[in-house]
Amino acid sequence: MKRFTCSGCSLLCDDIIVRSDGLFIDEVIGSCMKGKERFDQVTSKNRITSPMIRRKNDLQKVEWDEAIKETITILKNSSKPLLYGFSNSSCEAQSKGIELAQLINGFIDSNASICQGKVLNLAKELGINLSTITEVINKADLLILWGANPAETIPRLLNKTLFSRGKFRMTGREIKTLIIIDPVKTASFNVMGVRDIALRIKAGKDLELVRALKEECCQNDSIPSEGVAGIDSEDLKRILLHITGTENGVIFLGQGILKSTQDNVLIREILDFIQVINSKQQKGRVSLILMGGHYNMAGFDHIALSSCGKIGGLQFKNKQLVETEDTIVSKLERDDFDCSIIIGTDVISHLPYTLSSKLAKKPLILIDNHRTATADIANIILPTAITGIECEGLAIRLDQVPIHLEKIINPPSNIPSDEDLLNKIIMRLNEGGS
Amino acid sequence: MEMILNTIRKIDNDQAKEFAFGDNQSLEEKLAFAFLNPKDYTSLNLTKEKHLKISNSIGSIVVKVIEDENVPEKSILLPVSIWANQITIVENGELHFKNIKVTIEVTNDPISKYSDIIKQIKGD
Repeated sequence: MKRFTCSGCSLLCDDIIVRSDGLFIDEVIGSCMKGKERFDQVTSKNRITSPMIRRKNDLQKVEWDEAIKETITILKNSSKPLLYGFSNSSCEAQSKGIELAQLINGFIDSNASICQGKVLNLAKELGINLSTITEVINKADLLILWGANPAETIPRLLNKTLFSRGKFRMTGREIKTLIIIDPVKTASFNVMGVRDIALRIKAGKDLELVRALKEECCQNDSIPSEGVAGIDSEDLKRILLHITGTENGVIFLGQGILKSTQDNVLIREILDFIQVINSKQQKGRVSLILMGGHYNMAGFDHIALSSCGKIGGLQFKNKQLVETEDTIVSKLERDDFDCSIIIGTDVISHLPYTLSSKLAKKPLILIDNHRTATADIANIILPTAITGIECEGLAIRLDQVPIHLEKIINPPSNIPSDEDLLNKIIMRLNEGGS
Repeated sequence: MEMILNTIRKIDNDQAKEFAFGDNQSLEEKLAFAFLNPKDYTSLNLTKEKHLKISNSIGSIVVKVIEDENVPEKSILLPVSIWANQITIVENGELHFKNIKVTIEVTNDPISKYSDIIKQIKGD
């Protein structure tokens, strides 16, 4: 038995006990439901272990050589290739993805650009106070879940951060206050204690709330007596007391904020609000943790920044990086691509119909390990090993901390890792694509 | 009736799990449904046999309905899935998965089939 890091979600729990003889996984101890599913995927009935090519609307198993050859043909005939996904790939694979995009003069983007990447982009102008899980475990006395439901999305997050006893505190849950801001009473509300505050905000009114809180921070008694955004004025004053009086507070921004209709304005206001609070803080500080879901969602932006000096979408022309404001959304909206390579994400399920239908009408090469809606429309499927179980790699945790993922067992049918497969495609292209 | 649609993630209605371990039938059972406040459920005269057609300018889907007192009134929640994404919106380069205005009507039509959605996306 040995301790491994779980790649089931972006929390990357490093305390999972796995019993394995190197061939099979016999037992997994300590994982949550999502983690267990990740390990179960190794032998899931919808696991893809052979490359496939769609012929006459049917996917047919083919040899690796044929699949790679057809992939190269599509890429060589393309003048505007699009590469997308990478949040379920290691940093090494992300780096190879950028190398491939440069080689084929493509546009590359990750799932982060429609999620937490938006916060990091705005942080370039406004600055950002980030925190780490370790800091929250050891020091935090206030946790705010804003549009976040970790009980169902990152199941062990509250276990680790809310119920833990900190290294620098003699007490644990009893001194930690939890505030949840959400229009829906989610499963996370079930962990609330008597001193915690549940705020059922009106849907889509987060911007009004953050502006009211910010104004009250600067000018006392500015909150209207009838409250704001469906929240009672007394509750708003209680939140502010907690936020301005905390020694170490953390706001977990969830999908409710990251994918709201007013996201950019709202995120800008939240970043600004945190700066206002911290400028008035007497005892401590308030910081942010961004709740991306995929295990290496944070990784792509780190790799893109370190290799190209830019986060988010990267456009290459004449093998050089060119300035662009494009994201996967704008590229698809304008139909500005002629083929796509999708890696480790179910883009057909994840994107609105108006975009997914455009992707489906052009050659699509999928690199993934199990059936998805994207597999059901892909022209070529290249299966790869599951990172953190069948191959090793580096991932960046949701708090931007790098974590090494180890290999536990060999992949079935010797299928390659994402990194090895991308490297093979690059090598074949460099050799002339024969 | 007009309502506000929000997409949500729930651990028991996880499309990645259904794609990895299930089939088209389990996908439809676990993902092709909406959560509705019991007051709205009653006012719409919904029953277990009836379904809900959710429409907007993008398209429409037919799903089953489950009563959930945790859902705010006049709101409808859909698990993040290929069903929900038939009516989510792209506007000014931004994706909108929350607070989308939709029209709902009770129907006896069958729920939207996964295979039909895939055909529609492919343009077959």
